[in-house]
Amino acid sequence: MTISIEPVWTAEDLLSSLERRDKFFVLDVRNRDEFERFRLEGREPLPALNVPYFEMLELGGQDEMVDSVVACVEQHFEGQIPRDLPVLSVCAKGDTSEYVRQGLERLGYSGAHLKGGMKSWGQHYSTGVVIETPELAIYQVWRPARGCLSYVVASDGKALVIDPLRHLHPYLELAGEKGFKIECVIDTHGHADHISGGTALAAECGAPYYLHPYDAIHPMDALPATIPYNAIRDGQIFKVGRVELEAIHIPGHTLGLVALRLGDRYLFSGDSICIGSISRPDLGGKADAWAPLHGRSLRKLAALPGKIIVLPGHFSSLAEQNDSGLFAAPLDTLKQSNPGMQLLTQESEEGFVRYLLEHLPPFLSEYVDIKRVNAGLLAPSEDEASQLELGKNVCGLAAAGICKGETE
Amino acid sequence: MSQAFDKVLDARGMNCPMPLVNARKEAGKMEPGQVLKVMATDRGSVADFQGWAKIAKNVELLGQEEESVEGANVYVHYVKRIG
Repeated sequence: MTISIEPVWTAEDLLSSLERRDKFFVLDVRNRDEFERFRLEGREPLPALNVPYFEMLELGGQDEMVDSVVACVEQHFEGQIPRDLPVLSVCAKGDTSEYVRQGLERLGYSGAHLKGGMKSWGQHYSTGVVIETPELAIYQVWRPARGCLSYVVASDGKALVIDPLRHLHPYLELAGEKGFKIECVIDTHGHADHISGGTALAAECGAPYYLHPYDAIHPMDALPATIPYNAIRDGQIFKVGRVELEAIHIPGHTLGLVALRLGDRYLFSGDSICIGSISRPDLGGKADAWAPLHGRSLRKLAALPGKIIVLPGHFSSLAEQNDSGLFAAPLDTLKQSNPGMQLLTQESEEGFVRYLLEHLPPFLSEYVDIKRVNAGLLAPSEDEASQLELGKNVCGLAAAGICKGETE
Repeated sequence: MSQAFDKVLDARGMNCPMPLVNARKEAGKMEPGQVLKVMATDRGSVADFQGWAKIAKNVELLGQEEESVEGANVYVHYVKRIG
């Protein structure tokens, strides 16, 4: 069987392939701990083999990389790499993977390599259109590898950005292309899983930056943020052209979390209700105190009109994408389909809190530092920033399996 | 650290996997007991040399250092040929 594919995949090609649910096999030649922490996933983890490239050199025993790949695969991994699927070679930065692809090609495999490696995949952005009319446009700007979602709301040539991610180019390019001016930047909360682009984007656009004051204190350090911010208050209205967004204070995931409601049409839910999960209450290190707040806030959102479209801050898997490639669903649908929301409806307040506390996923130590960075208490270099942000977020309870239907 | 060495491999400016591929070739030509100093600018080489030394039969990683040379970060690996 002959399969023919392009030998070089960009991060964008990879995303298209994952969204089309193409079948392929991954040969990842990074270190084992790098692979464990951050691997390629589609709707579910892809079939993969991890052999660090230096092990290939030793196992193959040849002087040159390509010769070692050939010898190593022939002698040790022949049966473990399927012949009937394309094989995507992946490394950290996209140099070594090309040698691996050449080695596999010599052995008759049909293969490609990922240009720029996992670094490039980790920093890839994509933009989906939620609605695009002269009165209102909403764009979902997301980082596929990290599971982070952000939004641009535009009306009459003016735009407001919600939860901008660390790299500013997707927002600036969108603004340039569509011809709107970014006039306001809001973080729904002090993020723990990724470095916010909020203050940087606001400075770049000369726009005010908004954050709830409760999240301008680092919860573990109990130190005030040094970033410039305007305080959001519950019920505050943000006007963008012809539309208005109302801030709803929903403490729980953080003390200062807000959702933004655009009439009965859209709910930017921040890290509260996601498509396949609900967020966790323990990233501030105060789960016992915050979990009851979280439950009450979720009930407050659940009481909103059922047809309102929820636009969350995170996703856990591409399986949460709808047919238009968006992470969006009506609240009523989520009450039926989202295991966390089912739990909220079925359990008593106490029962829900107990369940949350008993099913907390592992806590990542990086999250303490990321909160420091977002509060301006720590200034990482570009390398350190990438390192802190490696891998997929675990802000949702899906990471613990609770939101995959395991509501025993 | 002032680690003694017998030979220097300058792999600055080289991308992965070349610092390690070349170090492995050089170490292969050395006598047991001799030490190779590898200079690289690829940050990933730090973890890679550690991983490699763990599985390779004839090398030992004596130490690693980070220096700043002409404003660039240089990662230095001391690789000893054994057995």
